[in-house]
Amino acid sequence: MTRPLIGAGIDRVDGRKKVTGGATYAAEVQVANVTYAVLVGSTIGRGKIKAIDTAAAQAAPGVLAVVTHDNAPKFPGVTGNHEANDRVVQGLQDSVVLYHDQPIAVVVADTLERAQHAAAMVTAEYDAAPPVGDVEADLGSAYIFQTPRGPAEIVRGDLAAGLAAAKTRVEATYRTPVETHNPMEPHATIAVWQGDDHLTLYDSTQAIFNVRRRLSTMLGLQPENVRVINHFVGGGFGCKGAPWSHVLLAAIAAKATGRAVKLAITRPQMQSLVGHRPKTVQKLELGVDGAGKLTAIRHDCVSETSRFDVFVESCTAVTRMLYACPNVTTVQRLVRLDVPTPTFTRAPGESVGTFALESALDELAYAAGLDPLELRRKNHADHDPETGKPWSSKSLLECYQRAADAIGWSKRPAQIKTLREGRWQIGYGVGTTTRGSRQLPASARARMLPDGRAIVQAGTQDIGTGTYTVMTQIAGDALALPIGDIRFELGDTALPEAPPSVGSFTAASTGPAVHNACVALRTKLIEQAVGDPASPLHGLAPDAIDAEDGALIAKADRKRRDPYAAIVARSRQPEISVELHTEAHKDRDQYSVAGFGVVFAKVRVDEDLGEVRVDRLVGAFAAGRILNPKTASSNLLGGMVWGIGQALHEHSVRDPRTARMVTRDLADYHVPVHADVPELEVILVHEDDPHVNEIGVKGLGELSTPGVAAAIANAVYHATGVRIRDLPITPDKLIQG
Amino acid sequence: MKPFTYVRPADARAAIAAAGDAGASFLAGGTTLVDLMRLEVMTPSAIVDLSPLPLTQIERAGDGLRIGAMTRNSAVATHPLVVERYPLLAQALLTGASQQVRNMATVGGNLLQRTRCPYFRDLAVACNKRAPGSGCSAIDGYTRSHAILGTSESCIATHPSDMCVALAALDAVVHTRGAGRERAIPFGEFHTLPGDHPEVESALEPGELVTHIELPASPFAAHAHYVKVRDRAAFAFALAAAAVGLDVADGKIRAARIALGGVATKPWRAAEAEQALVGQAPGRASFERAAAAAIVDPKPRRDNAFKIALAKRTIVRALELAWGAA
Amino acid sequence: MSSVETSIAVGMVAPSFVLHDDAGRPLSSSETRGRPWVLAFARGWTPGHDAEAIRAQLRGLGAILFVVSDAGVWSFRPDDDVELTAGPSRRLRREIAALAARWGVDTRDDGVFVIDDRGAVRFAHTPSGELSATLAGALAAAGRESLGLPPRPGITRRDWAVMSLVAGFGVVLLHGCKAPGADRPAAPGPVAVKAGSEVDVVLRINGSDRRLRIDPRTSLLDALREHLALTGARKGCDHGQCGACTVLRDGHAVNACLTLAVAAEGAEITTIEGLARGEQLHPVQAQFIAHDAFQCGYCTSGQILSAVALLREGRAKTNDEVRQQMSGNLCRCGAYPNIVAAIQAARKEV
Repeated sequence: MTRPLIGAGIDRVDGRKKVTGGATYAAEVQVANVTYAVLVGSTIGRGKIKAIDTAAAQAAPGVLAVVTHDNAPKFPGVTGNHEANDRVVQGLQDSVVLYHDQPIAVVVADTLERAQHAAAMVTAEYDAAPPVGDVEADLGSAYIFQTPRGPAEIVRGDLAAGLAAAKTRVEATYRTPVETHNPMEPHATIAVWQGDDHLTLYDSTQAIFNVRRRLSTMLGLQPENVRVINHFVGGGFGCKGAPWSHVLLAAIAAKATGRAVKLAITRPQMQSLVGHRPKTVQKLELGVDGAGKLTAIRHDCVSETSRFDVFVESCTAVTRMLYACPNVTTVQRLVRLDVPTPTFTRAPGESVGTFALESALDELAYAAGLDPLELRRKNHADHDPETGKPWSSKSLLECYQRAADAIGWSKRPAQIKTLREGRWQIGYGVGTTTRGSRQLPASARARMLPDGRAIVQAGTQDIGTGTYTVMTQIAGDALALPIGDIRFELGDTALPEAPPSVGSFTAASTGPAVHNACVALRTKLIEQAVGDPASPLHGLAPDAIDAEDGALIAKADRKRRDPYAAIVARSRQPEISVELHTEAHKDRDQYSVAGFGVVFAKVRVDEDLGEVRVDRLVGAFAAGRILNPKTASSNLLGGMVWGIGQALHEHSVRDPRTARMVTRDLADYHVPVHADVPELEVILVHEDDPHVNEIGVKGLGELSTPGVAAAIANAVYHATGVRIRDLPITPDKLIQG
Repeated sequence: MKPFTYVRPADARAAIAAAGDAGASFLAGGTTLVDLMRLEVMTPSAIVDLSPLPLTQIERAGDGLRIGAMTRNSAVATHPLVVERYPLLAQALLTGASQQVRNMATVGGNLLQRTRCPYFRDLAVACNKRAPGSGCSAIDGYTRSHAILGTSESCIATHPSDMCVALAALDAVVHTRGAGRERAIPFGEFHTLPGDHPEVESALEPGELVTHIELPASPFAAHAHYVKVRDRAAFAFALAAAAVGLDVADGKIRAARIALGGVATKPWRAAEAEQALVGQAPGRASFERAAAAAIVDPKPRRDNAFKIALAKRTIVRALELAWGAA
Repeated sequence: MSSVETSIAVGMVAPSFVLHDDAGRPLSSSETRGRPWVLAFARGWTPGHDAEAIRAQLRGLGAILFVVSDAGVWSFRPDDDVELTAGPSRRLRREIAALAARWGVDTRDDGVFVIDDRGAVRFAHTPSGELSATLAGALAAAGRESLGLPPRPGITRRDWAVMSLVAGFGVVLLHGCKAPGADRPAAPGPVAVKAGSEVDVVLRINGSDRRLRIDPRTSLLDALREHLALTGARKGCDHGQCGACTVLRDGHAVNACLTLAVAAEGAEITTIEGLARGEQLHPVQAQFIAHDAFQCGYCTSGQILSAVALLREGRAKTNDEVRQQMSGNLCRCGAYPNIVAAIQAARKEV
């Protein structure tokens, strides 16, 4: 047996299911007697429904119900129920239209084909008002967002004095477009009522307990009467963090028909109904003195939100803590638009905020005649400049060194526009990344069965990050069991509550909970053994006992062993189990906790045609202890691919007149394909961090995206001398630049 | 999807008879038809499945080549006769869509591929091509993907095919069979400009079946290239594309073929540019002159003016690669 | 062949059982804590792609299914996607024989028993002849239509649910027992199906002929997912823009979402469920695991099938060629570098 399991690059425990088709996603749960629901969307961006004609749909073959605001059951909990980290949903409660594609009806039929066609027969008349769909069309209305702790305008030091003291200054405006998550699995919900007061939801979500809380509140049910199940999630990236309208509508449709209802939203609907990263307009002003020290940073971000809900793309947070600069002012402003509410998108805030900050830093380096990497090193923040606290651990300088060596940074010419291969202009760029790491409370249950195998359970989710696998590893080490003797279960609100799979904090939150529950189970087994006259370990002190290969053993005499199976069998109980709640680690308050890293890019740009190809990306990342280098590397690689998409491809476009989404599918909303992605290099920089939690883990799922877009944009500048400040970097911009 | 009558005919005659009804559509690879039927952009009352018909030959026809209308794109692109004698066609096909779509899409179907204009695909907005007379949402809308050549006040939708750009350059002939007759349609006459009737896209009559295409002997095989500029490195429609062929003897261009994709409402033959090359020595200077002559009277809109420059540069690049100078 | 003993009959309290492995560890027991359960003796049965279809019926009831075959014992729990599998061992074989005898079913025979939530036997069926024929009879008795209707007066919800369960189980067992078709599927003859009517189709999927009555609008993808419980083909966009639905049609990768099921008659369709040979993974599947060539897994079936076709066709060889040909399979988790590595590693094995 390989010990320890933690740190070993073992294959995913759910790998076999995923390569054989055996992994079952929400819409694939086979429920007998299921019916199909299809949403009808609004065709105006703002106004009211005057009349909605459902007669043809009602009469169509196989149609069981057409639910609209005229006949939907009313639930007082649906409206006016905005909670933090949640989204206001539209549940057919009134005739108001807030954005294009807003659900205005749900059609339920006995087959999918019939439901789809009937949905196309529903028509509506509206009183329409002109919508606004672009931040820049209404910049004048931008207002400073009020956080619960005050306005989102934060001043450190004296910006004006800092700028005055600068030898070199740059000022520039950066724009990032609306991005849409587009996980491969569209959101889907199967709703099954058991009587009037019990509801089961098979739902593609990153947060089963959020769904339970929200749905039980909206529907007026006891939370424990709503069960949410999902064993596999086909990607989330933030857009499955909160239940959107369709989850409620599936439940309503199931209620209306008295049947189990499956509602899988379509790819076009995914462009409007399940959140997006808002467009941002970011103004940066930076100053540096003659010694290469930053004297001032001003970062002003305007982003969009909906008329009825608030979401802030917190771009400026990274600016407050990434560099040691005494004078920093950041402002977050919002513009309300007639659009659906934006939401968290992989590395929310950091991702696009870092593009602006790290591009501006590059501009400053060239303006001041400094090496871009050297400028970053000189301004390394040895402690958190915002809070003054020490970092629990930080290995950014080592990341710089190792990644710079790997890509050959020092060998590149400092001059721009000097490298070429035929028609290709070649360039190098760098971008730093960071992301704060949180730990949330979590619970877990560990059960030892009479056969000596363990079931470990927590109501977390595996959205592809490897939760099944790393939790099995954590449990295996704590219980001294091989991987094959542990089954880790998740994705069910019948299990102990664990936090959402968002914010890169699953490993750092549910991981410690699983560890602690398993340690407690082991302690319980030891107590059972030493107190049992029939045990070979009877009478020993608990700390004289070790665990090894499915058994407890006496440290002093390793031949004295008591297998778990025997301990459970003698207990005359069906199993021995422990459920435990774990709070955030006690040390955390004294430290700032964040992962850090850097990405270097080598790109080539076709000088005539403006096509950009990423030749190489090298990233070095430090995020505490790495539970499984195989799954961790995959996660980091994936984040870098997201960075490529953000840099070169992704932009959702609304019609300039109507605010209706124009990029309605995956042919128009480009995400990177195989051909866009070269071999990528991930360097894992090891950290021992005793302060973050029991298992020394920080989050890493979102660490590798910020920095990439800037590194690529900076490399494009190095190659061509053209500075693109408006993502994505497409051929049209380069040939016109 | 609207209900439809499904017909799997015994032979071509039965297929043509079944497709004679108003509202019927042929089903070839399905990559356009099923896609658009699911959106209810296309709502045929009947579909006539052509898969049983023996129209999958790739064979010599005199000095040229005959390709059956039901031959899959991937089969054409990898056929030795095509690779050797019409590399332009093979290149164009392989830049199109995905391997899955190329395995499904047919030559006949690709001739009739429909535009990717996002407004055409969205039932909630006006579109003259989808609903004649309803108006064009694109003209004053988001036009980054739209055409700058061959447009009208009714429609600026780009023709999306890569294959057709190569076929335009290769002077392909489309052979059809209708209720009463067989026809051979020169490629340049096969697709129609939108004008006032963007809903009409080809010279085909209702029920008329494309049976095969013929490619004449080509003197351009040695110097031919297809260049496609797109937003990602694969599986994307062209921002601009150029299919070119040069016939060079004694250091002078005897004949040239230039066709454009991604910038026009139909596969666009740039005859002026071809003329500009005849008698010239191949090289960057003559190529740039030809490119300048290729874009005649463009009509850019809000977001697509870049295509004027991009199309010219794409022609130059394609000519350079064809000549072997890039 | 023994006949059903009178000791187990409908209405009686079911005897409990516990099965053990050679080490004496309990594998499976009839302790179901007040849930209904089904005990099925099915010689030669192994769990395949039909496992999900079985669970569909179990979920409707909250029931547990035990399948006993000479290959082992499986227990299926409705919301538990990890089935406990036990290989045959000497002790287990002895216990299975005893269990079969206790239930009046010789191991060379087959039988299905449904036990309700109070522990009473509600349905007992042991075939006296060919399994499929008699299960078909059971299926007919339960009635295809009853599956689609709410409980009727005079029939309790539980009765109806039990009938559904038996019917559903019968369907699955029938499929599981059907011999794979030997030859290429016959070219389908001419048909004309009026708009609004359903059509009977025979699809050759993973070597078996599957008969369906479907709406002609049904895509091959929805036929697989919604009618045959073959959900390994995923729906990512339904418009041929993502590749998650990729299946092999006569060995070539195609988008199942753009294929009408009715137009797929006469073709050999291979889905992800048909790729492994029993427990033996296809080399591409094995290399995907070894190279961690997936994260969420949703695009994986399509990636693997495209890769299998790519390697079989043999044209794309360099990494860049592989990337071009694989570009119709989007992966939003960004596993692309690992996918390319897995394909190149599998090349040596296929």
